[in-house]
Amino acid sequence: MKSKNYSENIIKVFKKDGFALSKPDVLLDSDYIIQRSGENFRKSMFTFEDDTGKNMCLRPDLTIASCIKYLNDNTKVNTKIFYSGQAYRRSNNKKDKIINDQLGIEILGSKNKSTDDLKVLRTINNSIKKIKIKNTFIKLGDVSLFQNLIESLKIPERWKMRLKRHFWRPQYFEDLLNRLETNSDIDPATVDIDKKKFSEMENLNQSTEIANRKVSEILSRFDRKLKDPRSFLENKKIAGIIREFLKINCSIDKLEKTLNGFAKKNKLSESVFKDLSNIKNLAKINSKTIFLTNFGRDIEYYTGIVFEIYNSSKKEIARGGRYDGLLKSLGSKKNISAVGAAINLNNL
Amino acid sequence: MKNLITIGLPSKGRLKEKSINFFEKNNLKPTSNGGERNYFAQIKNLPNSKIIYLHAKEIIQRLGDGTIDVGISGLDLLKESALNLQNKIDVKKKLDFGFADVVIAIPNDWIDVQTVADLEEVSFDFRDKKNIRLRVATKYPNLTNNFLVSKGVTQYKIVPSLGATETYPFIGSSEIITDITSTGKTLKDNNLRVLKDGVILNSQACLLVSKKKTAMLGPFLNSLI
Repeated sequence: MKSKNYSENIIKVFKKDGFALSKPDVLLDSDYIIQRSGENFRKSMFTFEDDTGKNMCLRPDLTIASCIKYLNDNTKVNTKIFYSGQAYRRSNNKKDKIINDQLGIEILGSKNKSTDDLKVLRTINNSIKKIKIKNTFIKLGDVSLFQNLIESLKIPERWKMRLKRHFWRPQYFEDLLNRLETNSDIDPATVDIDKKKFSEMENLNQSTEIANRKVSEILSRFDRKLKDPRSFLENKKIAGIIREFLKINCSIDKLEKTLNGFAKKNKLSESVFKDLSNIKNLAKINSKTIFLTNFGRDIEYYTGIVFEIYNSSKKEIARGGRYDGLLKSLGSKKNISAVGAAINLNNL
Repeated sequence: MKNLITIGLPSKGRLKEKSINFFEKNNLKPTSNGGERNYFAQIKNLPNSKIIYLHAKEIIQRLGDGTIDVGISGLDLLKESALNLQNKIDVKKKLDFGFADVVIAIPNDWIDVQTVADLEEVSFDFRDKKNIRLRVATKYPNLTNNFLVSKGVTQYKIVPSLGATETYPFIGSSEIITDITSTGKTLKDNNLRVLKDGVILNSQACLLVSKKKTAMLGPFLNSLI
């Protein structure tokens, strides 16, 4: 089957399942993306200046391009869309493709998590079946489980936030765990000097701003930082629990048992991983589904389930997941939940 | 002329003086045949050579395109340049002058911020509470990006600066800066403080050579001490 036939057949399945064609822009305002997603995004974008000096880029990702279109169109309702097009990504690794042909679906404004997660995975899986690719298997993860675990641990709030934020950067995450273990965070010598400064600043007008931060804001963070409970022994144990969690790798039908065993062994509260029905639901799609806790750590915007579908020669042919925070970070005033997935035509 | 060695030296300030000293110490005295402002010079006892005085930044560029074969410039400027340019240039020798560090500096009154890890937290506060990115003014966008991202700071935006970067946090153009400093005095005088782990690069003057010419120039370069 040729690639054109592939696309036609896949699109048939998308349409049948109620997804409508959307044509996101190829050129995007790169300052807009960087202003909202941070500078590290720049390294994957092809950027250039237009005649007026405005920074533009080729869309690095069709999910982001679709979200921007959704916000620009000021769509008020939840939409089920599909797209077919190219994404352009810069990379230092010569093996990576620069132009990626993608066919994907998104549910923007997803109201029912469980139904919509299942719907996206099912539609993608059906379209792969439709083009007669057999013996696929799925790798599945759920970022929210990691977040539940961190919430349940007895560590300072600041540390919880840090660990959650840096789940996406495995290397830096390991640095963080090492720092948590050794508690090398606060230097007592400087703290003494700054306490003097602290009392001086208490006498200032608290709403005075210093480089965009109010005096009150600076002082309250300083205070919070010093009051954080710190216990070296406990931290070492906790780093161990996190490391152990991230090694979990089991078939989906054993997930509940494995997680419960893990929670019991480490004396975690019974309700840490209470609601697994959403994930177990997804097992209906493909019996060969493996669950990994250490998964989905390369795309920062995922917030819930993450999956990749592989063909029999272990090539990734599709990937997707839930991203409940992306639309807000791209400028939406309210939270808009979303879930989507794309098939990578280059690997078919 | 075949085997002509073209040498690029900094055209201004202390870096120029010290670069000339370095050559003189090696018994190679640059002599100008024109007025004081002439940008060309010769070395008497090295007849197949010529010297061009250039902006230190330009020395990197010209080594890359092959206009000059050897040059003296700062390590900071080399490391800041594009990767494909860096790949064309070898650091032959680190010289004994031009010491300075590229650092991250923050307003002195941000007493709650001591380390890059603190900065990372504050950058998320900016995003979550004010819905803006922390702005970092710099003449070194590449070095700054690599450093910050490697330390887990991702929620920020670069503001390119051409000079007097120290003023930016206090005129509302950025919140923090990265800049080059040798004594730290300018930072201090402008109410800024370097983060504890905020040294991005230890820089110094370097003898640089275009990779293509390394073989041809080997004997000459090895004679320099």
